[in-house]
Amino acid sequence: MSTVSPKDSTADSHYDVIIIGAGLSGLSSAVRLGMFGLKVLLLEKHYIVGGLNSFYAKGGRKFDVGLHALTNFPSPSSGKSSPLFKLCRQLRIPLDSLALQEQTSSRITFGTTDLRFTNNFDFFISEIERVFPHEQERFHRLLSKMENFPAYSVDAEELSTRNILAEELNDPLLAEMLLCPTCYYGSARENDIDFPTFVMLFDAIFKQGLARPEKGIRALLDPLTSKLKELGVERKMNTPVKAVHAEEDRITKIELENGEYLTATHYISTCGGLETETLLQPPPQTKNFEIGRFSIIESISVFEGHPKAWGWDETVVFFNDSDSFSYNEPKELVDLHSGVICIPNNYGLPSLDQKQESKLRVTHPANYSLWSALNEESYAGQKKIWEGKILENGLRYLPTIKEKVAKFKSKTRMTDTFTPRTIKKFTSHENGALYGSPTKRRDGATSFQNLFLAGTDQGYVGIVGAMLGGIAVANNQILRNL
Amino acid sequence: MNKDKIKQIVLDIIAEIAPDEVLTDVKPEIRLRDQLDLDSMDFLDIVMELRKQHGIDVPEGEYRELESLDSCANYLLPKFETGATA
Repeated sequence: MSTVSPKDSTADSHYDVIIIGAGLSGLSSAVRLGMFGLKVLLLEKHYIVGGLNSFYAKGGRKFDVGLHALTNFPSPSSGKSSPLFKLCRQLRIPLDSLALQEQTSSRITFGTTDLRFTNNFDFFISEIERVFPHEQERFHRLLSKMENFPAYSVDAEELSTRNILAEELNDPLLAEMLLCPTCYYGSARENDIDFPTFVMLFDAIFKQGLARPEKGIRALLDPLTSKLKELGVERKMNTPVKAVHAEEDRITKIELENGEYLTATHYISTCGGLETETLLQPPPQTKNFEIGRFSIIESISVFEGHPKAWGWDETVVFFNDSDSFSYNEPKELVDLHSGVICIPNNYGLPSLDQKQESKLRVTHPANYSLWSALNEESYAGQKKIWEGKILENGLRYLPTIKEKVAKFKSKTRMTDTFTPRTIKKFTSHENGALYGSPTKRRDGATSFQNLFLAGTDQGYVGIVGAMLGGIAVANNQILRNL
Repeated sequence: MNKDKIKQIVLDIIAEIAPDEVLTDVKPEIRLRDQLDLDSMDFLDIVMELRKQHGIDVPEGEYRELESLDSCANYLLPKFETGATA
């Protein structure tokens, strides 16, 4: 047909898929769908892509927002079975182009007990056998239980890891020390972690391992955005969604804050389960997603010289000041009892540049409601106060002699801190919930036939999880049914 | 179109989606999964590339017809031939 009827011209602006959110899951979905010729529109309310895994410049320095570690390093023992390897293949980004730098070594420290780990899983096992010789047999039984559990399947049962560890292990300290890193790297649930997520994160952190792209998060964001351009995927930045309109069991259109309406055959939302329900018009009669409670504060200090000069050669330290680990929304602004230290300069080989600057990142649980109730002046004031406390507290977990604390402070050129408020801004998650809602939809399906969730609320967390989640929704919900 | 050409088409697609695999010694009668590191996501990509490059549809229930180069050739030949005469 050569003539264009009015109906055809509306068809011109109709998309195969509209994706809400240009974080890592949205970008990955968009690349997959665009790769096979679908007409895709990617909507993002910020002026920059990446969501929580974004980047910014301050004081003439570049910072990554969320990146502590890229987990799932394809180590010699995991290789092509690593999800990171698989997602690079799916997105057709050569793994080598990330220039991954491996961690030196990392540590879980509880009171006086230390467990060290590297990207060699056998070393971690030997550490556990050394520190918990009485648990050796039970620990190996736990490992085979984890191997036999279908953690990666979309209908994996969401059992309580605390209960399973209590059944399988005799020494509660070992259980707590295994919970600490896995909760911090991906539990949406307070004081526990769903067993499938625990198994996935255990594999991601210990069996595969930690690494960092030489150029930080941009090593992933840049190839994704240039691929979108090549594939002709349309992207609208600074474009918040006002409402998602539904009729019966289908989404009919998207309404933007700027008053525009857009239509598509399929819709993917990456802003969270609860948050997507909030956008629905008419509002759903029942809320299907529990609100997430876990948020964090992170303080980044930029200091002179290489960390080795301070005697710090570890990459990540998960710390807790007693034998029992609590992973909750604290009752005050920040909980200093436990946290995570990351020294990104300790990925890869140390630089020989004496004049270089390094970063020290320290993360703690924090309370969203308390931080968001502060007015601008006291928010800034509290940030300053807690920056000092966090740094002083964090240094206790690094090999630091007391006299050095003041010296370190004098060599600190700048500090930047983000709070639960910042997380809310970048993720849209209610309550600034770092890992979204404890209710997860692994396959991304919703009660609407043409609306799918991708990202954190699928339950695949972290950078690698978000990307794989986005890929899985594009593949299983859309491409397979073409 | 003939079966050898189809095998080459499938190999070319695999080279594109899995550039790290060595394809010099792929045995046509043996399952691809047993000689290469390919999973269900990779097979989806083979299907998607057949669709994009050659306009051939493989319904999800028939993905297993692509398990070896020989089975690919047998299964795809009539589809290529219909495509050519249409």
